[in-house]
Amino acid sequence: MAMDQEIKAEARRQYFKYFRVWLIATAILLVAAIVATAVKYISRPAGRGNTSAPAERVYDFADVLTDEEEKELRAYIAECEEKAKIDIVIVTTNEPFGLVESEKFNVMMNYADDFWDERMYGYNRAYGDGALLLDNWYKDEQGSQMGTWLSTSGKMESIVGAYEEDQILDAMYAYIEQDAYKAYRAAVKQLAYWGAADERENPGLPLGAIVFLPLVIAAVYIVVHLRQAPAKDTTAATAYVAGGKPIMKEKTDTFLRKSVTKRRIETSSGGGGGGGSHSGGGSGGHHTSSGGHSHGGGGRSR
Amino acid sequence: MIFKCKNCGGNTVYSPERKKMYCPYCDSESSEEKQVYETSELTVCPNCGGEVKVFEHTSATQCPYCDNYLIFDERVEGEYLPKMILPFQMGKEVCKNAIREKFKKCLFAPTDFLSEVRLNGMIGTYVPFWLYDYDAVNDFEGEGTKVRTWRSGNTEYREVSYYAVHRNMSVDFRRIPVDASVQMPDEIMDLLEPFGYNQMEEFKPEYMSGFYGEKYNMPADVVEERAKKKMKDDISQMMQAQCSGYSSLRTIRNDVQVNHAEQNYALLPVWKYDYQYNGKDYPFYVNGQTGKIVGSAPISTKKVLVYGGTLWACLTILMASVSALLKVL
Repeated sequence: MAMDQEIKAEARRQYFKYFRVWLIATAILLVAAIVATAVKYISRPAGRGNTSAPAERVYDFADVLTDEEEKELRAYIAECEEKAKIDIVIVTTNEPFGLVESEKFNVMMNYADDFWDERMYGYNRAYGDGALLLDNWYKDEQGSQMGTWLSTSGKMESIVGAYEEDQILDAMYAYIEQDAYKAYRAAVKQLAYWGAADERENPGLPLGAIVFLPLVIAAVYIVVHLRQAPAKDTTAATAYVAGGKPIMKEKTDTFLRKSVTKRRIETSSGGGGGGGSHSGGGSGGHHTSSGGHSHGGGGRSR
Repeated sequence: MIFKCKNCGGNTVYSPERKKMYCPYCDSESSEEKQVYETSELTVCPNCGGEVKVFEHTSATQCPYCDNYLIFDERVEGEYLPKMILPFQMGKEVCKNAIREKFKKCLFAPTDFLSEVRLNGMIGTYVPFWLYDYDAVNDFEGEGTKVRTWRSGNTEYREVSYYAVHRNMSVDFRRIPVDASVQMPDEIMDLLEPFGYNQMEEFKPEYMSGFYGEKYNMPADVVEERAKKKMKDDISQMMQAQCSGYSSLRTIRNDVQVNHAEQNYALLPVWKYDYQYNGKDYPFYVNGQTGKIVGSAPISTKKVLVYGGTLWACLTILMASVSALLKVL
């Protein structure tokens, strides 16, 4: 009985000695995962934190939208803002910002940044997370000054780079010539999508991997440790031979005949193909507005 | 007979490490004195009168009461007098360590399999062997082929050359061992080979003190077939080595003639560790000269499930934790 207890105690000691690293690592990672998950859910912002900004989101100075369209766009923006936790502002103008593109974008950038700052937009706080889409419709006999500037702020400044900006403006420009409402709605949808990038969870490891990979590894581990090398016959043929080797009394190899056969070798050949190329473009940059707040953004002419 | 210490009267035993007799009680070396007891009853210890378990072929054993090693004269004399003995070269401690080393990676063996208590139960036994000498001649005739291929343009050529192969080989085998014990499994005894005969000694009963022993219980002519088979297998291998270099070899004639045969009786050293698990015996045999181990460790199903299950659970929790961290970080 006492021996059984000793064996059980020894078995436990061996078990914990063998798995100590595994158990400690597992416990540490498990605690880290629980704590990190809890911290994330506790620190998740409850809702809008900025009460200084006006409720208005659509400023149609160029009058390209009907009242009904403006109303629908406001409702859609409100819905998207809740999902993406950002402020989205649409401003249409009919202003001569300039014929030279660089000058025009500079003026548009300052206009958009100041518009945002003066009204203290931002979802989480004044001058906080969000984006303003400035769309200019000015055109006269000297030429078109039509174009769009996207001003980003807060988290959107870090999320929206050249690629994201292209995605937003591409979506908008698909409709801008035919239907301004559709174009702005598409831009808002894109802004909300990218704005929610940090809200979307990393999918983590696939469930299949979590379930099956440990099973496979455990099965392989068991099979490997079940194997035992059987004892081999290690006795050499000459082990019991006097002098360690046989005595050769005769060793002759007499050539008798030969035969030759031949066959034709079939050969084959093959070839390869080529590829193509494509090109694209975009723009973006970080700067500080006249109000001293950080913005990002970029523009496009039409 | 019992070997007693002249200095303290204790039972002297042969030490493989010291290569001589010594007294485990007073540590005297070569102080042995043979004491022969006149008794008709083998199962009574002549030293203490205790009852000793003696089987039909036991030639040496240990009294369970006074721990003295008893050697039965009539089973190591006369027709049972071995011509040679290969004394143990490995003591029990060395043997225990060899077993521990071999099975230390056997994770699923029962916990007490390599425990000191269990391993202490192993015993050293002198196993009876017949050692056969054969002077053999192998005459071989065959037809060998050598194949050569080459290319020329889009044509591949294959040339096959045929040779008449003749070999005549004389092989003098010395001391091919075959165990003469019914109890010892033949295939295990074969796997324990080879034994190195350079440490073989003329038989002296002193070498048996400290160990168990058996007299031969299978006559030389009964087990000789095994020796002949070993001889023929070895000759065949040697002949193959002499006929190397051919792509194929067809045997036309292969005669093995034995000109002289002789056998001698010898005792060879084997450690035996008997382990019981779940009502089944797991015997382990160790060559007492070379340390070669033959035997497979038992598997504890409970251990397989616990260890495999723990690894599976750890991996699953680890991966789930990593996945959760990836989601939130």
